[in-house]
Amino acid sequence: MLSLLLIIIASLFFTGIIIRTKSILSGRKGPGIFQPLKDIWRLFKKGAVYSNTSSFVFQIAPSIYFASILMAILMIPLGGHQGIISFKGDFIFFAYVLALGKFFMIVSALDTGSSFSGMGASREALYSLLAEPAFFILMSSFALLTGYTSFHEIFSTLHFGTYISYAIGALAAFVLVIIALIENSRMPIDDPKTHLELTMVHEVMILDNSGFDLGLILYGTNLKFAMYGGLIANFFLTPSYEWYFSIPIFIGVQLLFAVIVGILESFMARFRMNHNPQYIFMLTSISLLIFLGVLLVLGKIA
Amino acid sequence: MHLQFITMNIGVIILVGLILTVVSFITIPLIPVRLKSLLAFTTVLIIAIATSILALKALSGIKTEELFYGGSIFGNIPVRIDALSSWFILIVNFTCVTGALYGIGYMKSYESQKANTSLHWISYIIFHLSMLSVCVLQNSLAFLIAWELMSISSLLLVIFEHSKSDTIKAGINYLVQMHIGVVLISVAFIWVYFSEGSFDFASIANFFSHHYPVWLFLIFFIGFGIKAGFIPLHTWLPHAHPAAPSHVSGVMSGVIVKMGIYGILRVVFYLNTELILIGKTILILSVLTAFYGILNASVHRDFKRMLAYCTIENIGIIGMGIGIGIIGKGINNQYMMLIGFTGALLHTLNHSLYKSLLFYSAGNIYQQTHTRDMEVLGGLIKKMPATGFLFLCGALAIGGLPPFNGFISEFLIYSGLIEGIKTQNVQFSTVMILFVAGLALVGGISILTFTKSFGTIFLGSPRTQLHEEPKEVSLLMRVPMYLILLVILAIGIFPNIVFNPALTISSNLCGATTISENLLTISPVIAIIGRVSLGLILLIVLIYFVRSRVTVTKASVFQPTWGCSYVAPNTKMQYTSKSFSKSLAKLFSFILKEKKNYKEIEKNTIFPTQRVFISHYDEFFEDNFITRINNRIFSFMNYFMFIHNGRIQRYILYGFFFIVMIIAATLLNLI
Repeated sequence: MLSLLLIIIASLFFTGIIIRTKSILSGRKGPGIFQPLKDIWRLFKKGAVYSNTSSFVFQIAPSIYFASILMAILMIPLGGHQGIISFKGDFIFFAYVLALGKFFMIVSALDTGSSFSGMGASREALYSLLAEPAFFILMSSFALLTGYTSFHEIFSTLHFGTYISYAIGALAAFVLVIIALIENSRMPIDDPKTHLELTMVHEVMILDNSGFDLGLILYGTNLKFAMYGGLIANFFLTPSYEWYFSIPIFIGVQLLFAVIVGILESFMARFRMNHNPQYIFMLTSISLLIFLGVLLVLGKIA
Repeated sequence: MHLQFITMNIGVIILVGLILTVVSFITIPLIPVRLKSLLAFTTVLIIAIATSILALKALSGIKTEELFYGGSIFGNIPVRIDALSSWFILIVNFTCVTGALYGIGYMKSYESQKANTSLHWISYIIFHLSMLSVCVLQNSLAFLIAWELMSISSLLLVIFEHSKSDTIKAGINYLVQMHIGVVLISVAFIWVYFSEGSFDFASIANFFSHHYPVWLFLIFFIGFGIKAGFIPLHTWLPHAHPAAPSHVSGVMSGVIVKMGIYGILRVVFYLNTELILIGKTILILSVLTAFYGILNASVHRDFKRMLAYCTIENIGIIGMGIGIGIIGKGINNQYMMLIGFTGALLHTLNHSLYKSLLFYSAGNIYQQTHTRDMEVLGGLIKKMPATGFLFLCGALAIGGLPPFNGFISEFLIYSGLIEGIKTQNVQFSTVMILFVAGLALVGGISILTFTKSFGTIFLGSPRTQLHEEPKEVSLLMRVPMYLILLVILAIGIFPNIVFNPALTISSNLCGATTISENLLTISPVIAIIGRVSLGLILLIVLIYFVRSRVTVTKASVFQPTWGCSYVAPNTKMQYTSKSFSKSLAKLFSFILKEKKNYKEIEKNTIFPTQRVFISHYDEFFEDNFITRINNRIFSFMNYFMFIHNGRIQRYILYGFFFIVMIIAATLLNLI
């Protein structure tokens, strides 16, 4: 319950902090932290324009996308407190429920019959499928390290002792940050600020969405960011911490994550499209390094 | 007393079944064409109900067995319905019944071909019966006869549209490959017979207990693997499935391929030594099969061929379950063993459900549009909303997405692999983690494949003008599909209704009398997944409800799709399925070889004329291995062309020489 509340609170600030970081770094005055939220609120109140070619799929897709993210958030634990839903192997469900949302977003992009949307949909499908193995290797390695298979049990028994384990923690945080960037279509995979349809990935998929639906999608993205932030924060939380320690750590991690994303976006350009798959697949090799580290920690290899 | 009643039952049922079948064979050709399919459906239904009762009894723990005396050649023919047979009998029955029901509607458009239709339905009944016999007969010779009947009747079903040369080609390809399989299975059975002196299946266990098992198992595996479609033995599948009428493709992909799995499982449970080697080999082969299958599925534009490749993928996933189970047995890890076999059994069931659903939807599309090429379709969901919805559900289920049934079995297989990572050996952990990654990648590609297919066929606007305006198919064709969807959702939400029986079956077969505590926790977990899936559905409904309540007060307008300020877009500008999967195909271009056929525009051409560009993806194994081997055989056979010279006189001479040789050999006591 606690983690759900915290993630929702974090999601309110997250994009605002990214935008603020970017504006400070580029020396602009920039909008306030709550501007993205205000935009979403305004969208919720607006009417909608639908494409003539679209069908019921286009109308239900944003709701399913949003529901899938909420469902995934329910599984995120916080230190000693388990998520609302927790069972053995819940990380598999986590990945698959997110894939359900993605399936519908891709399909709804194709529903408009626009060539741009199709292009974005194809790219999104490819990039997310390439990121999938990295997540599974990462979580299975931790399952091997701790002997458990649910988020809650993994994170509550995870403790860092040796130098190698710190390295594993750092690598895991890195992999999760990159996965979060890919899943939320941020730099360096995708540029959310671009104005050219041909170079867009996620933005072009939702070109035809408007009104309440667009609001749902945008807020869903915020939630997804905060969700991954929550997942990363769990690496630094142990059940021995009292709530007055764990909540500041959680908020600190979220803040740091948002600022890092802001910094990345200020100083990096988007990769060329044909370099993206290699970059994403690199994540898999990094997660294999984590696996190697786990084997070292357990003393299975000398 | 009770037992006697059951043994009587099985004899009676076989007798009644045979009489019913013979009666329907005689009547089907005589009655009017409209009633043919109805009669066939009724026969299939009655046989299905009768055998399902027996199977359910066997599932509840009563083992049914009867010996029939088959003369001096066969010896005793045991008809045994154990847990494994009953599981497969139920799957066969359900799919065959829905297939026949769907076939009634689907065959309406072929009513002019009377004789052909009669043959088709008679083959269908034989096909159903032979599959049931394969599941229960445990005498090698009788089994082989049933197996052969199954192959031949399914061949007759495949070549229904025999006026098309492609169909005949696919049929012959199927026939030849099936017989290579039969030869291998026969060799294996004969080997067992000469070593143990019995045709009973129990002698296979004896053989394995005091011989080195790998070679015999390999022969069995190749023989059954051709039916199942493991790479590189899969090449018949992508030809036969598209050629067959859709209800037949549904049944073939749903159950006939599974007979291969049944055969493999049957032999696997007799194994006791060399388990780790065999398990690992099956696991590696299965991952490659799954990966290869889905990769090919993602690029093909013929939607039935796409589904056929997808079958190969799912066979790979089932094989992974079997592999995990065997390894678990080999390292004495009960949790891994049972979860692997249970996962394989459940995935067999799940795949038979959603694959038949998808093939029936493909049949709907084909019946209305007369094409299997998805690039010419588009926007069908407006014309055929029910078909679109059913295809969408099938696509979600096959992608293993919650809240559908595919997730349950994939979850079990993931759990088995993760358990495998935790076992002692480093080598094991490394291999298993690569398989986890492989399965995740396969899942991802299957999402790409099905978003592509669903999007291209059903969404957007029509890409070409079709000859006839497609419309929704008849209710008769939709009913079996809704039935399947109902079962799919039921398994997705209440998975324990199938998980617990499957677990019992695999523990019975593995001889595990007590189930470890570790395993008892998995059933509650599965129940939680069901509840969470239900929660997911409710959450979606809730959010959609809120959305509808909010948006109902707001003005909404319908306008053309945003075209980036371009004012004259046309439907050909939509993204095609080819371009959708192109970037993936490029990444894996070492497996997916694209062949392009076109002429470059020359430099000095000022007014280029209309030209043609053709591209297609090669089948890696067929082109690199099968065709090459075939070509070698053909060129070798050329040396014997002088024998086959077309002169009748020579042929008579051959006969004469043969007789002389026989006489000479007899005189010289050579034979």
